[in-house]
Amino acid sequence: MKRTSRLTGLIGIVASAALALTACGGGGGGSSSNGGSAGPGAKAQQGGTLQVLANAAFSHLDPARGFDGGVNNFYRLVYRTLTTQGAAPGADGTKIVPDLATDTGKTTDGGKTWTFTLKDGLFFETGAPITSADVKWGVSRAWDPEIGIGSPYAKQLIEAPASYQGPYKSGELSTIDTPDAKTIVFHLKKPFADFGSVVAQNTFSPVPKGQGAGNALDSKPIASGPYKVAEYKPGASLKLVRNDKWDKKTDDVRTANPDVFQWTFGLDPATIDERMIAGQGTDANAIAGTVQAASVARIQTPQLKQRTMTGSNGCTTYMGLNSTKKPLDNVKVRQAINLAINKQTVRDADGGSALAEIGTSIQPPTITGRVDYDPYPSPDHKGDVDGARKLLTEAGFGNEFTMTLDTRAQPKMQAMAVAIQQALEPLKITVKINTIDTATYYEVIGTTSQQHDAAITGWCPDWPSGATFLPPLFDGRNITPKGNTNLSQLNDPGVNAKIDEIAKLTDVAAANKAYGELDKQIMELAPVVPLVYEKVLMLIGSNIGGAYLHDGFSGGIDLVSVGLKDAGK
Amino acid sequence: MTTGPTLAEVEEVGPAAPPAGPPASGKRLLTTITRDKGALACLVFLGIVVLMAIAAPLITKLSGWGPYAFDSAAINSDLGGLPHGALGGISGSHWFGVEPQNGRDLFARIVYGARVSITISLSATLLTGILGVVLGMLAGFYRGWVDQVISRVMDFLMAFPALIFMIAILSSLPSGNRPVLLVVVISAFGWPYLARVIRGQTMTLANREFVEAARASGAKDTQVVFREILPNLRGSIVVMTTLAIPGYIGTEAGLSFLGVGVAPPTASWGQMIASSVSWYSVDPMFFAIPGAFLFLTVLSLTVLGDKIRSGIDQGEAA
Repeated sequence: MKRTSRLTGLIGIVASAALALTACGGGGGGSSSNGGSAGPGAKAQQGGTLQVLANAAFSHLDPARGFDGGVNNFYRLVYRTLTTQGAAPGADGTKIVPDLATDTGKTTDGGKTWTFTLKDGLFFETGAPITSADVKWGVSRAWDPEIGIGSPYAKQLIEAPASYQGPYKSGELSTIDTPDAKTIVFHLKKPFADFGSVVAQNTFSPVPKGQGAGNALDSKPIASGPYKVAEYKPGASLKLVRNDKWDKKTDDVRTANPDVFQWTFGLDPATIDERMIAGQGTDANAIAGTVQAASVARIQTPQLKQRTMTGSNGCTTYMGLNSTKKPLDNVKVRQAINLAINKQTVRDADGGSALAEIGTSIQPPTITGRVDYDPYPSPDHKGDVDGARKLLTEAGFGNEFTMTLDTRAQPKMQAMAVAIQQALEPLKITVKINTIDTATYYEVIGTTSQQHDAAITGWCPDWPSGATFLPPLFDGRNITPKGNTNLSQLNDPGVNAKIDEIAKLTDVAAANKAYGELDKQIMELAPVVPLVYEKVLMLIGSNIGGAYLHDGFSGGIDLVSVGLKDAGK
Repeated sequence: MTTGPTLAEVEEVGPAAPPAGPPASGKRLLTTITRDKGALACLVFLGIVVLMAIAAPLITKLSGWGPYAFDSAAINSDLGGLPHGALGGISGSHWFGVEPQNGRDLFARIVYGARVSITISLSATLLTGILGVVLGMLAGFYRGWVDQVISRVMDFLMAFPALIFMIAILSSLPSGNRPVLLVVVISAFGWPYLARVIRGQTMTLANREFVEAARASGAKDTQVVFREILPNLRGSIVVMTTLAIPGYIGTEAGLSFLGVGVAPPTASWGQMIASSVSWYSVDPMFFAIPGAFLFLTVLSLTVLGDKIRSGIDQGEAA
């Protein structure tokens, strides 16, 4: 349940397997898995310093606070969770595997009570052993109103007293049991079959009992993973060094190749592209985020193609249509808009085919059980203006009307808004573009009273299942006056009933399949216009090895596996 | 630069006297400018730009592409939206090429951008002109506390880091009517420069014999101001405002470049230059064309303003 990250410098967005390999020249075992991850696969050595060039800094170092693809990827270097996603390209990367726990959880009562057992030999960077009480302390921080602003799942699923406000204000949480130092038992509000995926969320990382109050972890995390923070200058740089208390034998996921990770933040995206293209000096040991559209034409040489990685970022960029505003309350008007949008120009505004795929369904291609279909087809996705006009006339809105489209104050987002404005012009729909400051954008559009007719936004799944995509966006009972994620304000009894029905399924595969069908059912109501599935397209330094794109982290390079080909350089 | 009254003007005292001779000085100016090849070239270029701005819809009808129409066929989606063909996609149908990523016609956007630049700079000049002349004359004519108040406000505004404040104001204000906001903000910081010169000259003029003569013959304050002093400030006003226009064009482009000017999709030269920055190495024409128009317009206005000043100075010397 996370929005597309604002860390555009670090992560990009989605892909189809067809194009994923076009940019992969040589470099060895580039994989062509379904997830669309591909790239130079040369082996990495242990040791050396890996540089990361980034535009935006991490939102939070505290695992209970940060929650986007970029920061989740980083957390795996410093924190361990009960389970975690696999460390591999493609579908293996989104498979849940044990991390601190010995397995992915045991339940005896159909998913209402879950028991996890910790491995032996687990230590914090301080040398203190990691016990079930520390895991419990870490999880219960999610209830703190100031700290628990990250992943919402612990709060949503685990039973807790209504007044509980985290361990610092309300003391220990009585509903998580720790019968001994190795065992932790969670009691859920209602059965949840996929709880093994939930405990891979950042909020399930251990924090030494009694510590981590206030902003403590945001400046100095207490590491349980293979690296610890050596130096952190917020907004400027971050240096990670090895945590010698971490034992490789307890960890099947993290290879942890480099000795040092060095982040440089606040670099201009164009500067990052220039440095990565030149690849001089320590930049040969560097990785960075998705290139700018203007750089795509420059990285087409065979030499640079060898250093290029591309794949899906697993998110959908869409335009929400506020179904409480006139005339968007009329389903035919919404369908007409869906039909009329020229997705080709929207994609080009987003960076062209190298950086985005045209979106048709709500769920992006990386979601398990997703059905590939196009409910509002048009030749070359250029929009069917005549069909749309017919629908509008049927609905009685043949005459012109005006709608306001909210968008972020970012050139790319504004360009997409202009493309939409242009596509609706022949229908005599005047689109007024309302630009909102990037920092407050989600807050504004999530406030029902301030929301306009439409908004361009995005959504990334927390694990590749419709459960983290469709209910948060379309369950009408989740509409809140503030912090609302159901931007279309859709409250359809049929959809709500179907969501409940799927939530009761205990078979995860069957549930995912059902979400694929629900996607279709929702799109018939046309509450959103799926615009594009963004892709990542990144250059890596010539000395980088073991790099692959991880589907679980918005298509970012999996940091726990990447390293240097020659650690001496 | 002081504008001294000629003997003829001194004799023109009294309500019945004809207004001071703009026809003569206008003609003289025109001949000075047309005799100078450089100034003439500037005048011709400005004429073209103004004509472009006025006849924008007609011109784009001729060229076939409006300023907002996307042309997906003109760009290569696989290369991040780079225009097809050399020189940024210059072709028979797109005379100046197209914008990367959306294929909008650069010629049409230059033509419509000229509208924005000229409307905003002329409106700002008009507003600063009125504010500067009125407040400058008030301060210079009445002296005393009126002068104190106005002069302190001017000092304050001139000492203020104007650009930073403009960016702050424009980014905090809701979108609203951007061009009007731009004019207001630019003028708010622009008028003291004119007002100071006007104030100084009004002070000198107010002590001149012909003003005293007018007073002695029973003229009221308003008559003195409008019939005696204002006509003698004409030269300064013309020169100051002409030289201010290129400055305002530059400011508008600068603010649009910084993302606080006119809102997309309105075409603006500054905005085009801003979005061309990342494309400089693969599509240099996207920068070169709006850059050239902005440069030439500002240069022409500056050269012309300079010529007008020397023309007026010569006229006074003659």
